[in-house]
Amino acid sequence: MLMRTGHMGDSLAVRAGQRLAAIGLLHAALAGAWAQSATTAAAPRDDDGEDRYTVILADRVITVSGKEIDNGVIVVSNGTITNVGKSIDYPRNAHVIDARDRVVMPGLIDPHSRFGLPRYNRGGVNGQAGAADEFFFVEGQFDDLLDAGYTAVALVPTGTGIPGRAMVVRTGGPIERRTLVAPSYLEVSRDKALFRGALEKAKQEIEKVEKARKEWEEKQKAESKPADTRPATAPASQPPPVTQPPGGTQPATAPATTQATQPAFKPPPIDPAHQPLVDLIEKKEGLFALIELQNASDYLHFRQVLRKFDIAHAFLVRNGLQSDFFRVVNDMGEHKPRVVVMPQISRLPLSAERLSVPADMSRVGCEVSLTPLNDSAGEYRRVLSRAADLVRDGWSREEAIKSLTLHPARLLRIESRFGSIEKGKEADLILLDGDPLSGMARVRGVIVGGALIHEVANEQ
Amino acid sequence: MNRKLPLGHDERRLSGGSCAVPFGAHDAGTGRHGHVTVLCWAAMILFGLTVPCGAAPDAFDDDKPDSQPATGPTTAPATRPDSQPTTDEARPRRRRPPRGESETAPASSQAATSAATTTTSTTSTSTAPAKKDKFLAVINGRVITVTGPVIERGTVLCKNGTIDQVGREVQIPTDCEIIDARDRWVYPGLIAAAAIGLHLGSPPEDNTDVFSQGMNIAVASGITSALSGNDVLKLSFGSVDDMVVRRNVFYNLGYPRTAVERAKFLSDLDRVRAYQRALARHELEKQRDKDAKPPDKDWIKGRYEEFRKLLAGETVAVQSANTAAELTELTELATRYGFELVVRGAHEGWIIASALGRAGCSAVITPRTLVLPDERRNRPNGSTIENARHLRDAGVPIAIIPPAQIVSIGGLAGRDLQHLNMEAAFAVRGGLSNDDALRAITIDAARILGVDDRIGSLEAGKDGDLLVADGDILHYMTQVHYTVVNGRLAYAKARDSLFAHIRPEGKPEIPQFDDQWPRRLEWRE
Repeated sequence: MLMRTGHMGDSLAVRAGQRLAAIGLLHAALAGAWAQSATTAAAPRDDDGEDRYTVILADRVITVSGKEIDNGVIVVSNGTITNVGKSIDYPRNAHVIDARDRVVMPGLIDPHSRFGLPRYNRGGVNGQAGAADEFFFVEGQFDDLLDAGYTAVALVPTGTGIPGRAMVVRTGGPIERRTLVAPSYLEVSRDKALFRGALEKAKQEIEKVEKARKEWEEKQKAESKPADTRPATAPASQPPPVTQPPGGTQPATAPATTQATQPAFKPPPIDPAHQPLVDLIEKKEGLFALIELQNASDYLHFRQVLRKFDIAHAFLVRNGLQSDFFRVVNDMGEHKPRVVVMPQISRLPLSAERLSVPADMSRVGCEVSLTPLNDSAGEYRRVLSRAADLVRDGWSREEAIKSLTLHPARLLRIESRFGSIEKGKEADLILLDGDPLSGMARVRGVIVGGALIHEVANEQ
Repeated sequence: MNRKLPLGHDERRLSGGSCAVPFGAHDAGTGRHGHVTVLCWAAMILFGLTVPCGAAPDAFDDDKPDSQPATGPTTAPATRPDSQPTTDEARPRRRRPPRGESETAPASSQAATSAATTTTSTTSTSTAPAKKDKFLAVINGRVITVTGPVIERGTVLCKNGTIDQVGREVQIPTDCEIIDARDRWVYPGLIAAAAIGLHLGSPPEDNTDVFSQGMNIAVASGITSALSGNDVLKLSFGSVDDMVVRRNVFYNLGYPRTAVERAKFLSDLDRVRAYQRALARHELEKQRDKDAKPPDKDWIKGRYEEFRKLLAGETVAVQSANTAAELTELTELATRYGFELVVRGAHEGWIIASALGRAGCSAVITPRTLVLPDERRNRPNGSTIENARHLRDAGVPIAIIPPAQIVSIGGLAGRDLQHLNMEAAFAVRGGLSNDDALRAITIDAARILGVDDRIGSLEAGKDGDLLVADGDILHYMTQVHYTVVNGRLAYAKARDSLFAHIRPEGKPEIPQFDDQWPRRLEWRE
């Protein structure tokens, strides 16, 4: 029987060859054909027709979505969790990962990072740009993140203004299955006037398209009137064909009646830099703006813009050591936005009073995700102990674990595949040598797609 | 965890003052109470009724708390002239747009919105539930309206950020935030005619940190508006809405120092004046001759356009000038070209006060400025603490600013914006009356900044900017207990960490020292 590890060894040799091909695929994705490339990349890996089972035996399974299971068993098939529980039967030929001295939890997810990407300064509205433009898969590039237990990370473009769109990648596993969402959310840095101006411009673009459509419809009517003698009966008997221009810029509520001989409506081109903002205003599924906040005042400023433009959004809260976010926490409770917060205890300015921004925000009902203080490898490794600090300070343990796994998965719209240990989700798991919020726990192994791809040896 | 909550979130009642709502309780909050009131008065007058129609009989029974004496329906009606102190200057009021997001909207939509609002208020039952009115009332206070009489145990009612009524008998609607100002003095919010560092960025209303420490301290000192840069902006601590009062207040004259530059400056002014005269002549000619050619106006741009606006009275010039010689030159300039001038500094203004008054200049002064006289100059010079009084007596409107127009938490205290009221008190020390000193940091400052239609006094129709202090604001022991900006509580002493610990009960008592200076050491046997 071919063991899973042996299979991995084979694929390693193949992978180097696949690299160039993967980069090619990436370029195809940038050209806008992402959906197509994703389907081709997700082709079944095991071509011997036999379902391979991997079984993970754990001391404790933190499922996040359900109860914690002592002496739990996780059954994985084709990278997907098929069963979780206690004393479950599994095929005898299954590959067993014996982690009976480990705590197993879902892999951590970072919703905002520039790990391994260079800093540069780009200003203005750059909705056409994205992290995918500058990102290459390189072998071992995420080893530090795997050490820290991160299995998925959202990479963001950098710069002031609206630098562009993020992408969500896995930190391990076969290259062709690493890109999870591209492009993902729209990054918005703290420039209220620019953000409002960009949204106003986007609104003008929408009006431009609608105006052109109206003109086109009137022209169509004027042309069809003398030719068609009975226009009222024809649409009633059979539904008219609906033209849907690409890009989803046309609202579906106003179908245009066209005849086969007449040319379809061509919408005027929308400024690509403002296309994501147009999509935001038109409430395109899956897209949202992640707005950076440096202080409490920024929240009020952006709230003012969001009162005018009702768009999907979340906030990146830069809670520093002296943070005044406590002043708007109750306001945030009215809208309950999703927030990305840093695992850090702040002080009330000019005092010694301690404030826990993550705890405050989850108290008022915001869905809190944690992101490291910066993109250094050390900070990634420190996240669990920082979260433990917050729990010691009074944050609920459940919320803390969710803020590292399930909440970022929901924020990044990948919760159907990641974020918890459940039937049907992908087996991206980490093995810890203790309770994750004990403050001392270290990540000892990382499982991606059911395969143990990363192990941290005991030092000394 | 005893954590300071942000202001104005949960607590509706601030100081335990209960709100009695004896009248119009059933419809308050929908914006109709005023109409019902008017209808009831009309009914009373017409039919001599003793019980107003529409009022529930049990609504004004005897258990009405005495903290709210002015709301009883059996008392005389609060007629508009009583509740609205008369202004001593009949200046045309600019109509304000309704509050909210419409501030940035173009003028046409503003007009449409205000029309819609009017319609809503007259037919509130038939229309869809509009945005709920937000009320805030300061009750039982000694209301110093500045432009009108002092009202003992009066009430100031703010509605949606604007003062709705001021007077002794004001109907308090239900769902109204109440500040009990018993034994306290209610003033209009103070105006700093110059401020640095409170509002940042460009445009300031998009970039200002509304939770900044500086703004917190300034609001705690009773300042609600300030000239930041060249804009009059609100210190709306905790809110980013309705921050701008007026943009581009002054034209910085930039009167040059050297003779050559001055000659150029004057010749430019002459040129623009000649153009304006030619324009006026052309207007007359046009009546006789349809084909009369207008004067060439292509060159009227840049500095010339600024000069044209200045000479046409569209802008007000501002210029720093201190010595009598500088001031004399500027007053002559202002008189000759007939523009409005505000001088900053003017510490020798007392010498030529009458000339400044005749030229119609205003002055933004710091009474405490100390410049020693130079004995070698054979004429009066140097500063005096009586400057403010002399200017005032000569009819020069004055605004008072402290020596440092910042909020400072280091160095020597008492010279920054925290002590704007104390700076006005220094003018009193120099002979100015209490009232005039108060006006110099409220309505007169507003008038100099051209915003007296919105701020500077407690009158119906003006912005809901006020402060509640535990005594005369010019007294050194007085502390501000509440500051309201745009009808929204921006500071409450008891709930802010700044000054809550100082005389928390709020009774100013003069400290009695048990010895005198020079201190005698007493050795008890």
